[in-house]
Amino acid sequence: MKKYIYRVFCVLSVLLAHQVMYGQAPASRTLTGKVIDKKDKQPVIGATVIILDKDGRTVKGTSTNINGNYSLPVTNPAHRVSVSIIGYKSTEPVTVETKHVINFQLEHSSEDLTEVSIKSAPRKMADDGSGLKVSERDRTTSSFKLEARQVEDMMATSIDQALQGRMPGVDITAVSGDPGAPMQIKIRGTSTLNGNQNPLIVVDGMPYETEIPSDFNFSTADENGYGALLNIAPADIQDITVLKDAAATAIYGSRAANGVLVINTKRGVIGKPRLTYGFKGAVSRQPAPIPTLNGDQYSTLILEEWYNAGRQFAASENIKQFQYDRNDPLNYYNFSRNTNWIDALTQIGYIQDHSFGINGGGEKARYQASVNYINQEGTTKGTNYSRITSRVNLDYAVSSKINFRADFSYTHDNNDQLYNPTITTKNETTVNGVRNVAYIKMPNQSIYEYDEYGNLSGNFFSPAVTAQGTYRGTYNPLALATTGISNRQAERIIPKFQLRYNVSPAVIITGDLQFDISNSKIKSFLPQIASGLAFTDPLVNVATDSDVDGFGVTTKTNVIYNALRKQNHFLTTLLSLQSYDGRTTGQGLSSTNSGSPFLQDPTDPARTATEGSAAANAQQTRTVAAVGQANYKFMDRYLLSGSARLDGSSRFGPGNRFGIFPGISAAWIISDEPLLKKFKKLDQLKLRLSYGTIGNAPRNNYTFYNTYQSYGFSYLDQTGVVPGNVELTNLRWEKKTSYNAGIDISMFNNKITATADIYKDRVTQLFYNDLQIATYNGYSSVDLNSGTLDNQGWEFNLAATPLNSRNLRIDMSLNVAYNENVIREVSRLVPRENGNKVTDNGTFKTYLQENTPFGAFYGFRYKGVYPDRESTIATDKNGQQIMSPNGTPIYMKIGGAALDYQFQPGDSKYEDINNDGLIDYKDVVYLGNGNPKFTGGFYASFTWKNNLKIGANFAFRQGNDLINGTKISSTSMYNFNNQSTAVLRRWRKEGDETDIPRALFGTGYNFLGSDKYIEDGSFLRLRSVTASYTLPQKTAGRLGLNSLRLYVTAEGLFTLTRYTGQDPEVGINIKNAYSVVVDNSNTPPTKTVTLGLTVLF
Amino acid sequence: MKINNIFITSLTLLCLSGGTSCKKYLDLKPLDGIVQQEFWKTREDLTAAVFGCYSSLVGSPPDVTDRPVPLSIFLWGENRADMVVPTDASTTQEQRDIKDIVNVNIIPTNTLVTWSNLYRTINYCNNVVDRAPDVKANDPTLTDTQYKALVGEALAIRSLLYFYLIRTFRDVPLKLTGVSKDSDIIDIGKTSQQQVLDRIISDLKIAQEGVPETYGTTAKGNKGRITKMAVTTLLADVYLWAENYSASVTECNKVLAYAAAHPAELALIPASSSWYTTVFETGSSTETIFELAYNLSNANPFGAFLVNGSTRRLIASPYLLEIFEQDPNDINNDRPDIRAESYFNTGSMNILKLGNQNTSYSNFQVYRISDIMLIKAEALAFTGGGTEALKIISDLRLARRAVITTQMDPDPSSADGVAEYVLVERAREFAFEGKRWFDLLRYAKRNNYANISLFNDLVSKTVLASAQQSAIAKYQDKDSHYLPINQADIFADLKLIQNPFYNR
Repeated sequence: MKKYIYRVFCVLSVLLAHQVMYGQAPASRTLTGKVIDKKDKQPVIGATVIILDKDGRTVKGTSTNINGNYSLPVTNPAHRVSVSIIGYKSTEPVTVETKHVINFQLEHSSEDLTEVSIKSAPRKMADDGSGLKVSERDRTTSSFKLEARQVEDMMATSIDQALQGRMPGVDITAVSGDPGAPMQIKIRGTSTLNGNQNPLIVVDGMPYETEIPSDFNFSTADENGYGALLNIAPADIQDITVLKDAAATAIYGSRAANGVLVINTKRGVIGKPRLTYGFKGAVSRQPAPIPTLNGDQYSTLILEEWYNAGRQFAASENIKQFQYDRNDPLNYYNFSRNTNWIDALTQIGYIQDHSFGINGGGEKARYQASVNYINQEGTTKGTNYSRITSRVNLDYAVSSKINFRADFSYTHDNNDQLYNPTITTKNETTVNGVRNVAYIKMPNQSIYEYDEYGNLSGNFFSPAVTAQGTYRGTYNPLALATTGISNRQAERIIPKFQLRYNVSPAVIITGDLQFDISNSKIKSFLPQIASGLAFTDPLVNVATDSDVDGFGVTTKTNVIYNALRKQNHFLTTLLSLQSYDGRTTGQGLSSTNSGSPFLQDPTDPARTATEGSAAANAQQTRTVAAVGQANYKFMDRYLLSGSARLDGSSRFGPGNRFGIFPGISAAWIISDEPLLKKFKKLDQLKLRLSYGTIGNAPRNNYTFYNTYQSYGFSYLDQTGVVPGNVELTNLRWEKKTSYNAGIDISMFNNKITATADIYKDRVTQLFYNDLQIATYNGYSSVDLNSGTLDNQGWEFNLAATPLNSRNLRIDMSLNVAYNENVIREVSRLVPRENGNKVTDNGTFKTYLQENTPFGAFYGFRYKGVYPDRESTIATDKNGQQIMSPNGTPIYMKIGGAALDYQFQPGDSKYEDINNDGLIDYKDVVYLGNGNPKFTGGFYASFTWKNNLKIGANFAFRQGNDLINGTKISSTSMYNFNNQSTAVLRRWRKEGDETDIPRALFGTGYNFLGSDKYIEDGSFLRLRSVTASYTLPQKTAGRLGLNSLRLYVTAEGLFTLTRYTGQDPEVGINIKNAYSVVVDNSNTPPTKTVTLGLTVLF
Repeated sequence: MKINNIFITSLTLLCLSGGTSCKKYLDLKPLDGIVQQEFWKTREDLTAAVFGCYSSLVGSPPDVTDRPVPLSIFLWGENRADMVVPTDASTTQEQRDIKDIVNVNIIPTNTLVTWSNLYRTINYCNNVVDRAPDVKANDPTLTDTQYKALVGEALAIRSLLYFYLIRTFRDVPLKLTGVSKDSDIIDIGKTSQQQVLDRIISDLKIAQEGVPETYGTTAKGNKGRITKMAVTTLLADVYLWAENYSASVTECNKVLAYAAAHPAELALIPASSSWYTTVFETGSSTETIFELAYNLSNANPFGAFLVNGSTRRLIASPYLLEIFEQDPNDINNDRPDIRAESYFNTGSMNILKLGNQNTSYSNFQVYRISDIMLIKAEALAFTGGGTEALKIISDLRLARRAVITTQMDPDPSSADGVAEYVLVERAREFAFEGKRWFDLLRYAKRNNYANISLFNDLVSKTVLASAQQSAIAKYQDKDSHYLPINQADIFADLKLIQNPFYNR
């Protein structure tokens, strides 16, 4: 770090020294004058009078006295003098020359406080954060820009929520509707299997870290814990640009392999201070859950399930919980309820959001400062999110050559989450979340405990054991949600400095320095009342506390050289040197069996010392990069851009640390060809082509070391030390090559603009984690570069303003995208099918086949329920019953000798594809594919007289299949789980014709993976609809305001879908080649109504 | 001036941003933990690495959860044989796999055929053997004797594990160099059992020279580490398997001579009510030659597996009651065979030998003095020493208070007769120590599978009635006596060919 500061200091001193050289020996004299008001000729008191050098740098300044007089020493006749004061127009600087007296007359500026008028409409600039100013017209790569005001009405705590369905090729999915939960953002599909699949976020030209530190594996830290890392207040955002092809993201290098979202925050503009205040208040409600059985229906089902399976309750087997026996009052009162656990957990959520901003500045300095506070009460009890963000963006023009920018942002957030009991088995960690348990919790159990006289005691009823099992498997969800604690508090401070030096009109040097200081603290506590376990159990009063601190330094030095500015030739070059140094340290502590549920800290003395644990972790990452880029423009219509990037990362071994990644792109503005000039209706027609490569670094640090560790126990009182991992010397950069062809068109004076892109991204040397190797090597898996993955597809965006009359304006936009993931090549070490057995209930097969998109699932075809004995006789392909040689019928069986189960009336019927009387792997067929055909959204707005505006925003996904995981578990009738009301029409007696099989406890094959659970996941959702009213200027003025805007927004109002589950919006998280989409009903996105107000003073 | 300035400035920037120091800048070492480059420096490092090998014999390293080595040894040695019966306590895949093995319905995806835990330990030993010369070169305080002793321990542990592997799988990959980086991972295929045996013998001879007779101080410290007698015993056992009987007898005699000279270190313990407690529960007794030591920081894996009533997976088979038949004259069973009463519970058939409590810290016995006696007896039978062999058996039986009913009187000149007696006596002596299947196989395979019919008898005792015919047929194929190589490894190494019986 020290080294860094030293280096930066050096850079700065070099730049400053350069300036000092211009200093000349002073030959002082005095300049005097008087400042008066032009209208009333009265002296202006307190006006600032400054002397500027030829670069516009302030040399000396003073204020006018009570008579409006000033006097200043002058050293150089070339210096200029200028006067400014709030309320008056600043004067044009006047050169001193040999004058001794200069008087000024100031003009009132009140009448022209409106926006600075723009002389001739300049070309709209595209800012990709690189510092290289390229107009949007001249862009050669694939990107899409969205102004923040287009999404500002939405009740989004995080900007990513508001972007859903607004940008082509950017697929944003809500992971959960809980406050503070992260969003899953995907740009052009999954391009790595290496953990983090989110795009790189760039804020004001500098990368913004959203990655969870790797190797951070305290029991309490999970992905959700770090969810809301993108915590920039939406009100601070000016615009967002998504960079999609590798030629565009090259400037950001290794972390940009998943695409880049460039966010620019608002900056000060010249003018008097403008205050804004915004308020948003919202009410949100969960959509109706899948209806489940009440207590009476449930108890009936369980008994039927139990006896169908040929079992009898033994006295010890919790039978009492289903007997409704009044002679056993405790069980009777506590287990004869009709509890709706989901309803008990659910509440109306409230959100309030206040933002306050001030903006203004003069020639020299400009400022934008804001404070935002949001508090969100979740729709599930026990969830809450609150956040304070503040941001100060300062711009200071030291002189016409040197500009200085200093930005500070500070965020504090506090997130109450649900305590998640995680069950860690050998290979996987399952989160047995509150909502999941509530869905399946036995509804005949009471929430609060009754005493033996039937009086409510007011305490949660948390028996240690019920028929469903014990804690972690099951518990009282309301007790856990309200008494369990899982709280995360985080602070993040990002100071950022930029010095920009215009060496000459042709050369600009900028130096950027950003610090990123963050810390978060996660505390959790599991009280006895939530688990119900005995006091001595290690899962009682479990307290954890962990802390992660991060410190990062990012630097960027750009040298821009406008090498050529001839009539028809423009050449701009950029050299950028970048570095990043990030360090995280974390420590955690846990203890159990603290003396009371009020002793919630792991440092409190506890009954047991042995069950607690402590952990610590420290990591450091460094990267360096050098980028060279050249943009060439010929005749203002032929554009060519080339770049080369050298990346270095500390995550590779010495041999593979550096990678070179070139890119090239070109554009042809066809509409500017003389031949087409005559088509006046055509504003622009542009063709773009790009090719680029980009490298991706692995997720973990230090993998190129063979690290030694000591055993957790001693052998003969000595500690053994063994190597813990395989040293990865061969790990190389994962390389993404992308090809993109696009066309931009705008017509009828920009009333219609359209963009279409077709692309192919190929990832080679794919990181494949934990690839199985022969275990005789002493290790079972190793991380390798192996395989090739393609993402290919197209995107289309259309924006139109079909009507723009004096009174009414209609705007519309539509975006559609298609993407498919194809594995082209994979290591032979990767198994070709997932390990699922087709005869295991609830599992699907997936196969890995090169050159086909993955995400396909295979299983049986469901044919309803065998109504009677007759129907279970196997049939041949003509539908004739199959008889054995001695004339007895052959009944349908499953699986061969090992299982040897004969189907009974009431069992699920699967199609016997090969008519051999046996349901086995030979009857498995293709059932569907989780890849959507199209994703996208559309937007329409109507503006009446610039005052009233109504806009609606839709998002859609079409053509994908979903595995309805909730349907599998809610209609399986296989255990003590509560079921959906669909099972009320289950098969009960011979002859029943129904689609729901009989209840069968712990046995049978009634829910094998079949097309019964595969559903069309297409949907069209009204994401939001907003009506806003802006007060007419006059009315606002009368109220003493500059403007006032009121609006009401409704989100998630309705969804058109054929999907029968809770919500068809399910994230596709491709972790390996067998990942499929399963809907397990997390907290659904809520329906929210927001009332908002924006005032400009 | 301008252009010059630009160049100077950009050059300064370039240099400052670290052009030359980039490589160094990116070279980051872990902030905690120790890396290989910094290990292998001192005698203490080498000792710690050798103790890493021992630790790996008793439990898995941090962040790894798999079957501890003693459990694998126990399952390979007992599961297919006739002294244990699976229970219905668990319905896990592992328990189904255990039952499949009993019923000779063995496929390469059976989880019991994984050998990763043994090979992980072998890799640690390989690392010690590979890196010890570096330590020797770096640390002058490491004497030649200490160096040879430490390397010898690693060689002996490696040989012990290979010996278990070849008896379980026959031909196995012979990995003799340590894997520490990804480029070390190469496909090596299998090496024949004979070649592995040869290597084991030559390694053990080196170890025999290097390791000390005793580590001084405590009995515990001596029994849990490889001593010269441990190496010699292992060598005797290896020779017996290789049917090199005279060499085996030579090695046995070395051990017996040492025992005679050092009765305080190595001797049979006379029968008493505390015999079980002394030898097994407390462990490190004078009977033990080599054991795997557990302690309060690490419980042995057999508690939940064998002892806990509701989770136990295997119980003793009725065959145990047969071999420990009561003396008909001893109506009250006052003087039973001391082994019978403490090995298992005759009512519940619970196996108690490896730890008689739910959480047990009993050591796992690898070789005891009785091993040497019975190895010698067996070897003698085939080298014309039948009479001496019967004497050894009789000595042991006396010490164990064996009852008259279980006594056999084979013709001393009948090698097979004496060997059969040894086989039964070994069953009594080493029940549940992970040796029975290897004893049966050694007996059956002798003289080109002269006694292969022994398996018919085994099948009738262990296999489900419905599967007996197929099991008998399978055992006729001598390839079936070895387990298949686990599917995942076959998949990962193209040169690794599945064992013949499982290819079809």
